[in-house]
Amino acid sequence: MSIASLTLLIGVLLGASPLVYLLGRLAVRLGWGMWLARGLALLAALAAWAPFVALWQQFAPTGTRSLFFLGNLWMQVDALSLLLAGMTLTLGTLVILFSGAYMAGETGEEKYYAMLLAMMGLIIGLGSAGDLFNLWVWFEAMAVSSYLLVAFYREQPASLEAGMKYLTQSAVGSVLALLGIAVVLGQTGSLDLDQVLAVARTAENQMPLLAAGALFLVGFGVKAALVPLHTWLPDAHSQAPSGISAMLSGVVIQAGLVAMLRALAALAGQAVTWGALLLFFGALNMLLGNLLALRQTQVKRMLAFSSLSHMGYILLGFGAAWWSGSAAGAQGAMFHLFTHMLMKGLAFLSVGALMFALFHHAVQQRPLVGDDLNGAAARYPMAALALSVSLLALAGLPPLAGFMSKWQIFVAGFQTGDGMVMGLVVFAAFNSVLSLGYYAPLVNRLYRRTPSVAVGAGGGIPWTMQVPLVILTLAVFVLGLFPAIFSG
Amino acid sequence: MAAWLSLSLILIPWLGALLVWRTGDAAPTRQHALAVAFSLAAGVAALVLVPLASPLVVFTLPMGAFFGELTLVSDGLSTVLAAIACMVGALAVIFSVDYMRGETQLGRYYTFVLLFIGAMCGLVLSGSLLFLFFFWEITALCSYALISFYNDDPRAVAGGVKALIITQVGGIGLLAGALAVFASTGSYQIADLLAKAPQIAPGLMSVVAFGFLAAAAAKSAQFPFHTWLPDAMEAPTPVSALIHAATMVNAGVYLLARFYPAFAPIPGWTFAVMLVGLASALITAFMALTAMDLKRALAYSTVSQLGYMVYAIGAGGVFASQFHLLSHAVFKALLFLAAGAVIHGVGTRDMRQMGGLGARMPLVRVVFVIGALALAGLPFFNGFWSKELILEEGLKHTPWWAYGGMLLGAGLTAFYTLRMTWMVFFGAARSERHAHDAGMAMKVALVALAAGTLLTWLAVGGFSGLMEESLPYHQIHALGLPGLVEEILLAPATYGALGVMALGLALGWLLRGRAGVSPPALVEGLSRTSFGFDWLNGHTARGVHHLAALLQKTQTGQMNWNLFGIMAALAAVLLVLWWSAP
Repeated sequence: MSIASLTLLIGVLLGASPLVYLLGRLAVRLGWGMWLARGLALLAALAAWAPFVALWQQFAPTGTRSLFFLGNLWMQVDALSLLLAGMTLTLGTLVILFSGAYMAGETGEEKYYAMLLAMMGLIIGLGSAGDLFNLWVWFEAMAVSSYLLVAFYREQPASLEAGMKYLTQSAVGSVLALLGIAVVLGQTGSLDLDQVLAVARTAENQMPLLAAGALFLVGFGVKAALVPLHTWLPDAHSQAPSGISAMLSGVVIQAGLVAMLRALAALAGQAVTWGALLLFFGALNMLLGNLLALRQTQVKRMLAFSSLSHMGYILLGFGAAWWSGSAAGAQGAMFHLFTHMLMKGLAFLSVGALMFALFHHAVQQRPLVGDDLNGAAARYPMAALALSVSLLALAGLPPLAGFMSKWQIFVAGFQTGDGMVMGLVVFAAFNSVLSLGYYAPLVNRLYRRTPSVAVGAGGGIPWTMQVPLVILTLAVFVLGLFPAIFSG
Repeated sequence: MAAWLSLSLILIPWLGALLVWRTGDAAPTRQHALAVAFSLAAGVAALVLVPLASPLVVFTLPMGAFFGELTLVSDGLSTVLAAIACMVGALAVIFSVDYMRGETQLGRYYTFVLLFIGAMCGLVLSGSLLFLFFFWEITALCSYALISFYNDDPRAVAGGVKALIITQVGGIGLLAGALAVFASTGSYQIADLLAKAPQIAPGLMSVVAFGFLAAAAAKSAQFPFHTWLPDAMEAPTPVSALIHAATMVNAGVYLLARFYPAFAPIPGWTFAVMLVGLASALITAFMALTAMDLKRALAYSTVSQLGYMVYAIGAGGVFASQFHLLSHAVFKALLFLAAGAVIHGVGTRDMRQMGGLGARMPLVRVVFVIGALALAGLPFFNGFWSKELILEEGLKHTPWWAYGGMLLGAGLTAFYTLRMTWMVFFGAARSERHAHDAGMAMKVALVALAAGTLLTWLAVGGFSGLMEESLPYHQIHALGLPGLVEEILLAPATYGALGVMALGLALGWLLRGRAGVSPPALVEGLSRTSFGFDWLNGHTARGVHHLAALLQKTQTGQMNWNLFGIMAALAAVLLVLWWSAP
């Protein structure tokens, strides 16, 4: 039963969230150990895997979309919602494990886990929303949970500033998206994605629907970090706790993209138009993300800009699919969504582990800059290897996962036979080379002989933080060597 | 049998890499031993594989819808190149036992060397374009990691990034070509491409052909991408010998040779290949004339000799190019390793501080002279036969001015070779530096390569026979040893070429006293900037940074502007939609 599995999947996460909070507050008040709250959070994330696997097994053999009511909510399960759920669970579980040591002793630690679980549940709900209004509600609720996580270090001005920017700009985006929904409702008299699609195809005056599409593109595009709507992202990614940076970069902005694609798909009468716009924003994202990453000295900011460029590759895949009407581009983009989650999650978590070790504490006294990482490999071989693997995979070097997913997008681009798309693929390839200009020197730093002062004075990395790194590193290798695992 | 051997050429070195890495730097003796054992095992496997060459696919592994099949084909072209990679690889590793003794981070060094040997074998054995590209990229990564091995030295870091970026920019040609082939034929298999080439649209085919040429030129440091190889000389010398003289830089030549039957009918392609070879051979031979750094002089000479191979392909002499590739791999590895022994002994790369070293390292002098004579193309070393074969092909199939240019290049080669050898080993010592002789492991590697320099040309019959049998599209005719001797020794052109070389040697002898004198400003400037192309590289890199700095100014971090960005984007999208609506 799809409906039971999906309800259970979302319910476990959303239900555990207040319990974790309560347990955490009791721990603070009564002096119990915080490990209870941490343990429950991890347990909930692990428990959510059972309904997810059940859902997967129901979907995989047929591959058909299933639609059903949850109370009076329209829900749907298709490849995209399963992908988003899988990404959220994978990274979320590892981040909770990682955060145990990383966040230990922070004020408000219980809120962190509660919000993280809530955010995971809400993202999975967003991916499965079947009508426009509920899509927006899930989206907005997810955003609210993420604001608090971004501004988690509330004593630090930089963290608050990042949180404020993120909140304000996301709110503007949400309003625009809501406006778009209103226009669609006014024009088609429906919010159900399938009915809207049916009416939109035959609508006489397309202009209001096009305007609604523009509102969706820009409104949800703020969260998906399309250039020039991305300006909240570098601050938010670099100021949030590293586990949250990983979630933001690996799952949250992709959730924004999924929302955008769902909404635009309802207006698919103009698929070619939306395809062209996605391609255009994809090119902008790649160029600006790479060029600005080249200028960064702070490691987390550099990774943040690199997320922009990877969103560009993903947009290239989806854009090519819509522009030419072939499914291959979308498959490639979905593969890249998944591998990017692995790679960027690994990158942020390994940087987080190194920060934890170098600064003896998770709170950023100051940003981590490239020079701090000189010679880190001698003392922290696993974290340095994990960071190197993630960076090389992001750059698209074989045999790592990023190479295979980029290749699949590129193949799809050339299969369209369209000159513009093929030109964009070559442009994307140039961008990959450009990205080596900032990834490669960073990898090199890690293996220098003379360690930096920070490395010399650094502390240890606990095993709970090393395990997620090992798992993600292996995954990046395995998916690179056996890409058929994913497409199969 | 061939399947297992082909696969083992990739997996043996990679397993060795894994073991060396896991051994850890606390046990350097075991690291040396493991590296030598695994590289030698790969070398033996490669030699056993050579006589088994056939055009058949020996190994297939399906990789999924978008990735086709990973196939391995061990034909005459790939097995010989794999054997070069493994044998020179093993000798370079043996040499490293002395050269790298006492270095820190030995694990990283051997891991990447072994990773490279496996990837290079994969590159030549791959029967699929995707996996050719796959291994192509891994060799680039290993090359980068090893150039930047001494990564506390900013020059090594810069040289590594430069090599990586330039080869990757060219690599886009290979990527685009492979994608175009797959999109139009639905297959990544090289055999399919060679078979179906005449049916593929000529426009698309020329994109593929010129894309591959760009990739080959970048990988083989050919004009206009010739700027990265001299800067790659910051790598440990055994790496320069293995990757930047004997193997990876040959990958470009290999690529051209492999696809020659498909691309030769494309209008302008063979001419462009010939021009690239000619320009590379001459420009870098000129730069080698005044070089003062021993390794850079050898690097210029490598680009120049690769230019001869590329030129040969442009002239249609696929076998001649591969024959010279074999000779060059052996004698240039010898020269680099001998230079490594010198540098290790003297502690500098500057030839102005050497001189008279022969007295203290007699064996190194003997082998270096053998290598130098082969490089200069004097009879009857391996370089003589292969270079003359290339010039023969050039005389028959290229315009007179191109042939003349290559002849001039041969004269320049003789000149700079003599100058280099003289400055290092002969004359009076020009500095107070104390030199110590090469170690035992070094000598083993040097003697083996010197023997190869004297003997590899005897394999011409077997090599060309293998290529004739196992390359169905290349139309190569076996050339037996008597045939080769007859063709070269009876041709009048041979004696003309030898005359030019003698002239170069004579000039070198007369000017030997002035070898250490700085060249005129114009010559010095041309050499330093690689005929302006280094300047171009620098400005491109600075231009990109400048553009990035400009863009950075648009990221004010002020919320007003951020929100303006959102609204402006909305307005722009709406305008575009309104403007383009039907």
